[in-house]
Amino acid sequence: MEKCFQEAVRYLGYGKNPVDEATSRLVEKGFLELEKVSALRSVFRIFEMNRIDEEKVAIGTLQISSKSLARNLNHCEKAVLFGATLGTGVDRLIARTSLTDMANAVVLQACAAAMLEEFCDEKQFEIGEELEKEGLYLRPRFSPGYGDFDIGFQKSFMQMLDCAKAIGLTMTESFMMTPTKSVTAVIGASRIKERCPIAGCEVCDKKECIYRR
Amino acid sequence: MIRQRLGKDLLFFDGGMGTLLQEKGLAPGELPETWNLTHSEEIYKIHRQYIEAGSDIILTNTFGANALKFHDDSCSLEEIIKAAVSHVKKAEREALLQTGDERKIYTALDVGPTGKLLKPMGDLEFETAYEAFKEVVILGEQAGADLIHIETMSDTYELKAAVLAAKENTSLPVFATVIFDERKKLLTGADVSSVVALLEGLGVDALGINCAMGPKEMLPVLEELIKYSSVPIIVKPNAGLPKQRDGKTYYDVTEDEFAAYMEQIVRMGACVIGGCCGTTPEHIRAMRKRCENAELVPVTEKEFTVVSSYGQSVILGEGSKIIGERINPTGKKRFKQALKEHDLDYILREGITQQDQGAHILDVNVGLPDIDEPALMEEVVQELQSVVNIPLQIDTVDEKAMEKALRIYNGKAMVNSVSGKKESMEKVFPLVKKYGGVVIGLTLDEDGIPADADGRVRIAEKIIKTAEKFGIKKKDIVIDALAMTISSEPEGAKVTLETLRRLRDEIGVNTVLGVSNISFGLPCRPIVNAAFYTMAMLNGLSAGIINPSSEDMMKSWYAYHALMNLDNNCEQYIQKYANSVVSTNIMKTSELSETKLKGENDRSRKSSSKMTLQEAIEKGLRDDAGKITTDMIATEAPLDIINEELIPALNHVGDGFEKGTVFLPQLLMSAEAAKSAFSVLKEKMEKSGEIREKKGRVILATVKGDIHDIGKNIVKVLLENYSFDVIDLGKDVSPEKIVETACEKQVPLVGLSALMTTTVVSMEETIKMLREKKPDCKVMVGGAVLNQEYADMIGADFYGKDAMQSVHYAEKIFKDALQKSADKKE
Repeated sequence: MEKCFQEAVRYLGYGKNPVDEATSRLVEKGFLELEKVSALRSVFRIFEMNRIDEEKVAIGTLQISSKSLARNLNHCEKAVLFGATLGTGVDRLIARTSLTDMANAVVLQACAAAMLEEFCDEKQFEIGEELEKEGLYLRPRFSPGYGDFDIGFQKSFMQMLDCAKAIGLTMTESFMMTPTKSVTAVIGASRIKERCPIAGCEVCDKKECIYRR
Repeated sequence: MIRQRLGKDLLFFDGGMGTLLQEKGLAPGELPETWNLTHSEEIYKIHRQYIEAGSDIILTNTFGANALKFHDDSCSLEEIIKAAVSHVKKAEREALLQTGDERKIYTALDVGPTGKLLKPMGDLEFETAYEAFKEVVILGEQAGADLIHIETMSDTYELKAAVLAAKENTSLPVFATVIFDERKKLLTGADVSSVVALLEGLGVDALGINCAMGPKEMLPVLEELIKYSSVPIIVKPNAGLPKQRDGKTYYDVTEDEFAAYMEQIVRMGACVIGGCCGTTPEHIRAMRKRCENAELVPVTEKEFTVVSSYGQSVILGEGSKIIGERINPTGKKRFKQALKEHDLDYILREGITQQDQGAHILDVNVGLPDIDEPALMEEVVQELQSVVNIPLQIDTVDEKAMEKALRIYNGKAMVNSVSGKKESMEKVFPLVKKYGGVVIGLTLDEDGIPADADGRVRIAEKIIKTAEKFGIKKKDIVIDALAMTISSEPEGAKVTLETLRRLRDEIGVNTVLGVSNISFGLPCRPIVNAAFYTMAMLNGLSAGIINPSSEDMMKSWYAYHALMNLDNNCEQYIQKYANSVVSTNIMKTSELSETKLKGENDRSRKSSSKMTLQEAIEKGLRDDAGKITTDMIATEAPLDIINEELIPALNHVGDGFEKGTVFLPQLLMSAEAAKSAFSVLKEKMEKSGEIREKKGRVILATVKGDIHDIGKNIVKVLLENYSFDVIDLGKDVSPEKIVETACEKQVPLVGLSALMTTTVVSMEETIKMLREKKPDCKVMVGGAVLNQEYADMIGADFYGKDAMQSVHYAEKIFKDALQKSADKKE
């Protein structure tokens, strides 16, 4: 919870500055409101994978050209496709709040993002525990749209996971996820244990971003 | 015909298809429907195995066969559906030939979801979904299917599109099953009774549940289905909950376990059973063997009067329900203005406020002369159901508006209204029959409003009887006993109360009233209204159409429910009033309200005695800002308050934001505080005829394909505070609409927002089109994915890295424009 709170504040653009009392109250209230309307769901599937060269990987029968992804999946032998969502209730709450109180809406937005990340971390941890029994260790999540990993692959991921049916996660014509507070990602599994299985900002190329940790 | 056998014979569906195809080599992500053409033999064999195992109804392999999934594929839908139906027919012929069995096999056209989310949560239009389903069901009927089975639906809206398509375009029986989860909810939030209400309203032949859970987990959902459904129930569980092993999904409920649960399910009340994911011909064989002789529970008529929204149902007859009356222009100047100016936000806020105040249902009336009511009604209903989750009551005399609203409404609506006039009933009942709904029947007819209860009860009976001829049940009718003002009808209240009581006791029908009519023409109307409201509830009022913002009415409502033991342990009452103080002094109401007002002012002065308006805004204290402004306008001119307090406060906070000492939530809290001060000032200025000049018009829009609008909304709040006239076109807005509005309304500045690289393309397209059609219009852009370089590339005039930047740019543009026009004049 404490981590979620800190993350929400970071998403609100506070950087390293301390958060003011009013916002802090809104953030706390935001998490409580979200708890009531969210319906957290996730799905995953493990595929054999093959890193063909420095810019190409194959996950199951799906071939992907992407240097960033190939780097992320270096030394991996399996790939976990992963999807998660907070559900449509969160979108409705934010839409509704936008009409009555923008400050609250912006805070809810940030809280929802933090909540989603934490949920993904939890699920990833559970998957990781299972795979460790087979001597496999997870890499950081990597999503279509990161680096040169074409966002178009989101569609393939959703089909391979049957996301619409499994967790109600769909996509618009322009590759936006609906419900909006959702994630699709690939998590590499390797025999080599690395230091940090969960990472976000640290692996991103957008170094000037104001939300960077 | 299968219709005749429903509910009389136990009918057996087949089991899983997808899981069997995966075993035969279907790759993840591959479209199983293509196998109808590429692996006909495999499909045929699976059907045949199920027939031999004892299935009566076989689903075609067409779950995902719709234009939305197949638009980029080489094979045509028609080929796929023809082949899919023919595989079942062939399996039927050959299986029965071999066994010599004379069983009738039914070919069910399997219709699954489109895989897309409908608007407003997603980007799929209701009518586009409808068209996609329409194509499939027509092809299915042509190919020879015996019935349509819509299944695995998790969104009531999509479900409605599919059922409507099947009912309107084929004559086949329609079955519909949905996915409930362990909380007994659909993915989009609907509960069991609301799904039943929707499906019964649309007239399906059988309804039920499939997928997601095993038979055991389905039992609690089934219990509720049985409680509410008056049509036969279908249950098709998975072979347990999905589990994973070696990266593969599997299900582990054995054939015998499955069969045992299915027997229990039949004994509870299901009469069409089968399997979903993970079930095999073996499961079906064991199920048939075990259940074949189980006795069916007869399907009975349930007497609940239910209206529903996408997310919840409201049952009339349990306590008295509150129908919020505020979305209605009658006698409301501000609301009329909102309708004329197409200010949907104002209307939506009225809806949100009423729900927050305790309304269970919202009446929606947008009728004004010179307004395209059908179009506006459709729009308002669609927007409202994206921000409130309580059912709506469609209130119109315009038949077209009623049909449009009922069609796109996500649930089973309340319909306001029909009367005892022949013409009215012939107009309204067919719509209610087709789309479902609970209709309000007014106790008046060709001869006017009867002066006594006898006459009104007789009209109620006539309405109920006529409705029956149209196939509408009594439970779907609510009678309006009509309240006539006691200032002109001395016996008015007594007649209404007697009518209510007799409708409840003699006719057994639910009732409704527009309560506040009773006091028309009298002073201090809330006193009479509240007392009458209590009396009406005591006489059986099922739902009162009232203003939930009226404290007097809500006091009556809470007190009545506490007194009549309709509020468990007075919980609702205590929660509402535990912290309120009631004055015990007896005094005249006018004195009461004056005293109260005075007290409040004292308090607010005390609490804010040291605080100026500027401070309240800078601290983002919305309530205080409003109160202080209310105090100030007694002595100061609105324009002075704006220039001396409001503007400096906004500037101070804006500067802080840019320096990095004030952060986004604080900036917005101040903006909201300023907004509340402005609204007090605006009201005052309107009264005195004073006008605060707007700086100029700005269009804001999130571009086509983009559904994230929070950034745009932030900019909007700030621009409005700086007194710009903002035309908010919303999200997912086409370039054409933006350009058209800019030209038509002569707007010199357009702000566009986009979140992702995939939608910046539409931004570029919009800019190009604007340059062509309205070259003098400036364009500012913003959004997560943009930066200066990107903005330059797509030809924008300005890139706003945050909301304050857009305010500065807008001020500059309009200052330049003013300068230019001044120069011209000189």
